[in-house]
Amino acid sequence: MAKILVVDDEEHIRLLYSEELREAGYEVITADSGYKLLERIEEEKPDLVILDIKMVDYDGLDLLQDIRARFYDLPVILSTAYDTFKEDAKSIAADYYVVKSFDLTELKKKIAMALETHLPEKD
Amino acid sequence: MIHMEENPQNVTAVDLVVAIPTFNEAASIGRAVEIVGQGLKEYFPDRQAVVINCDNHSLDGTRDAFFKANTSVPRIYLSTEPSRRGKGANLRMLFEKVQELNAQVVVVLEADISNLSPSWVPLFAEPVIRGAAYVTPLYLRHKYESTLTSCLVYPLSRCLYGRRVRQLDAGDCAFRGELAAAFLEAPAWSEPVEATGIDVWMGTVALTSRQPVWQTFVGAPKKHRMKDPFAHLSVRFRQVLTTLFEQMAVYEPFWRRVKWSKPTALFNLDGQEMDTPPIVEVNAARLFQRFHEGFQEFDGLWRDAFDPMGYNKLHEIRSMSFEQFTFPTQTWAALLFDAAAAYRRLGEDDRAKAALVDSLLPLYLGKVVSYVKRTERMSVQQAEEHVEDMCAVFEENKPYLLERWPH
Repeated sequence: MAKILVVDDEEHIRLLYSEELREAGYEVITADSGYKLLERIEEEKPDLVILDIKMVDYDGLDLLQDIRARFYDLPVILSTAYDTFKEDAKSIAADYYVVKSFDLTELKKKIAMALETHLPEKD
Repeated sequence: MIHMEENPQNVTAVDLVVAIPTFNEAASIGRAVEIVGQGLKEYFPDRQAVVINCDNHSLDGTRDAFFKANTSVPRIYLSTEPSRRGKGANLRMLFEKVQELNAQVVVVLEADISNLSPSWVPLFAEPVIRGAAYVTPLYLRHKYESTLTSCLVYPLSRCLYGRRVRQLDAGDCAFRGELAAAFLEAPAWSEPVEATGIDVWMGTVALTSRQPVWQTFVGAPKKHRMKDPFAHLSVRFRQVLTTLFEQMAVYEPFWRRVKWSKPTALFNLDGQEMDTPPIVEVNAARLFQRFHEGFQEFDGLWRDAFDPMGYNKLHEIRSMSFEQFTFPTQTWAALLFDAAAAYRRLGEDDRAKAALVDSLLPLYLGKVVSYVKRTERMSVQQAEEHVEDMCAVFEENKPYLLERWPH
């Protein structure tokens, strides 16, 4: 079972994602901010991170760069209420970008794609 | 491979190499060396560094201009034999020298960049120091600059090797010194690689080495000698596409197992954008005409190379007027995949392979027309999203390539 870390400062989003993604067969853990996020990733070893961009104390796009520099191949999906952040060059370090919605069809599709992405080891 | 070497300061070991490949660059090499020298002194004062000029035996005084440049950074001049031309030949000498010098970080910058500044040295070198094995730049580009990259190199290399490297063939790069050995041992070295295919070739070797590839934001366009983007296109197109197709044969076991794609790490995201990219004008009507002329010359070849469905679709596209013209990315991807498979089936028949690659140029120009028409009212950012969508189509259609590829 793939483990997904949901990082979002809005409780109702964490609850919505947790419930729906558990129903879809994933193990879900959550964080309500970017505080010590890299350490949390190190400890919990999630298979994928869903990262909010606009949090009260943290900028998800900056956290994304830290994640990418330390965990080069860890799939990260940016989740935001605003599609304008897609124009920020920092967002290209994410595997995918989804606009928050109560319908998680698109998010689930991107999760599936990110988890089945395969790059072989060197022959 | 190194025909001639001059190493007046007797440099035997360094941490950092900045290489400048040249052929007849006497007018620009001096300035480039001085700027690179400033960059090395300012940003890497404690590192042993050398500037290496990898030259194609220029007869215009490039060597003299290189040594006359006003910098205290040590210099080494390398030259190929007189008959040997091409940036790839230059860089092959560099790989040998990097091994000999045991360098940890290597930066390659072209000589004729008019807006080169000392800060570009750390923009390329620093990601390697922080863990990247290979670094490509992200220059600010107008939406019609490097359409070969946007419409072909990026979508194809991304769906094959699974990494989203936007400007794989930008011409400038950096790499970890130990990658020089991989470059020297890597297969599919050929005449096109010795020329302009080298950038794609190095990028592919790095991607298949499964070591970290980073992209660095330069925050500026790359301004170099004004070049008509379509003036030398046929030669460049042939060299780049031949390189891609030859490497597809070699790296088949790798790309067969790649599914979807992943981003790279990025560097210098907080860098200020210093400039705007120059506007690139495209004569779409002329390209449309060249697309149509391709049918007179290559239709028979296409009938043999393409699946009947793709071939018929191509004729459907041909029937469209300029005003309504569109070349769907799905069809473009399928035709490229068909052509790659046909190229593979041709084995050692170099003449037939060259003819096949040349036949794809009018189709590429047709795709450029479609891209230009689709993006003409778009901002650079919106056009970038359109390119990303094209890449997604290539990735979705990769099973078709697997099906068509000869076993």
